[in-house]
Amino acid sequence: MNLILTPIFGISFLILEENSKGVNPLLTPELGTYVWSLVIFMTVLFVLRKFAWNPLLNFLDEREKEIASSLQMAESAKTDLEKIKEESEKILNDAKKEGKAIVNDSKLKADESAAKILEDAKAKSNEFLDEAKSKIEIEKKRAIKEIKEEVVSLSLDLATKVLQRNINDDDNKKFVKSSLETMKADEAKS
Amino acid sequence: MSFCLYSGAMLGEKTTGKWTMDQAPQYAIDHVANSPKNLFEFEILDNLSQKISSFLGISSDSLFYIDLGITKHVFLLFFVSLITVTTIVTLIQKYISNKKNIPSKFMSIIEMFVIYLRDDVLKNFIGDKEYRSWAPLVYTIFFFILFGNLLGLVPIFDLFGLVGKISHIDSIYIFSKGGNTVTANVNVTFAIATITFCAFIFAGIKKYGFIQHWKNLAPSGLPWPLYFVVVPIEFMGLFIRPLALTLRLAGNMMGGHIALVIFITFIFSATAEIGGLAGLGIAPFSVSLALGLTMLELLVAVIQAYVFALLTAVFIGMAIHVDH
Repeated sequence: MNLILTPIFGISFLILEENSKGVNPLLTPELGTYVWSLVIFMTVLFVLRKFAWNPLLNFLDEREKEIASSLQMAESAKTDLEKIKEESEKILNDAKKEGKAIVNDSKLKADESAAKILEDAKAKSNEFLDEAKSKIEIEKKRAIKEIKEEVVSLSLDLATKVLQRNINDDDNKKFVKSSLETMKADEAKS
Repeated sequence: MSFCLYSGAMLGEKTTGKWTMDQAPQYAIDHVANSPKNLFEFEILDNLSQKISSFLGISSDSLFYIDLGITKHVFLLFFVSLITVTTIVTLIQKYISNKKNIPSKFMSIIEMFVIYLRDDVLKNFIGDKEYRSWAPLVYTIFFFILFGNLLGLVPIFDLFGLVGKISHIDSIYIFSKGGNTVTANVNVTFAIATITFCAFIFAGIKKYGFIQHWKNLAPSGLPWPLYFVVVPIEFMGLFIRPLALTLRLAGNMMGGHIALVIFITFIFSATAEIGGLAGLGIAPFSVSLALGLTMLELLVAVIQAYVFALLTAVFIGMAIHVDH
């Protein structure tokens, strides 16, 4: 215990004890040291102020300004970007609408023209059909007439052969007339 | 590592004669006190000291004789200022001229302190506009004291002393006499406190003019008889501020180092009083104490530098913003 206490208490006695100059060694005024401290500190202050602190503070200020301005720039760029985005979206929407309208329009036109073409085709085909029908009718009538005439001459030839004699034209005509009348009478009877 | 060097240095001291337990306090005091005699002899400085002192009417055997001789603390002051200036100027110049603006490790520590002091101390206490003119002073105080405190923890000169003792070179051995913590010397701290004192007086005068500044000492709006009490108190307070700064820093650094040395003397005292084995037995105890205390001293070194800088800023702020 003595080992530990002696240095600890001894020191307080020593600090209180006065040295040869009449003051304790830890609080001796040494004006030389004081003057040197002042001179050295002021020199350090001057040098650091000029070469370290002022440049560093300016540098920090500048950097902070730069950061602030770049943040602002970023902010404005962001709003610009948003605007541009909105605009491009608008443009895109417009383009889409326009495209749709164009497509619709052309579809309508195409439909119209298709219908027209179809109608034209129909009309034309009808025309052709009618023409063909009337031609057929005419041909039919003609054919029937020819057949009739042929039948008359044939039956005449046949009758002549049957009768073995050729009656003159007046007889023929009378015969034909009478036979036609009988045919008509038969038809009326039936 | 530092306590190993301390122990080594003390071992060197011990070889001069037989160590006794009573030597421990004196040894501890020697460790923090200034060297008793001049380290280097400069005739020019002696002549200058005599001239200045006789001009001021102080005889050479007076306590207030201005001896400009280079004592150990003066030598260390040069050393500390050289290291402070070269380190900070080199780092900052390199940082500023660097186009990428990426701080090195040490520079980012310095920048951290600089920005912290600027934003939380200078702008807070002195003001957003006025702080620029006082920032260099506060920064210099902080870093000068910080380097002084930290350098005091490195027992480089104790090691010199050991080498000097072993090799019998007196010119080196002389370095072991006296401590190597400049900030434990009241004269040094008082000099810095004087600058703080001048700074806050000057700040007040610059802002309010000479007469108004002194009038500011007395708060307005008191009944007149109170001024007889308030003005002397305020006036005394003005001078107590630098004294408090002086003693706070010196006392803290002194106390830490005395305790550090005392812890290590346990080993030698035990060896001398009881025997070598006792010394060996007590060694882990005192070394771990010294180690812990060194860690604490590292913290104290930063805190005391910060407190000194902070109070400087506060005093300047008080002189500028009287209404607070």
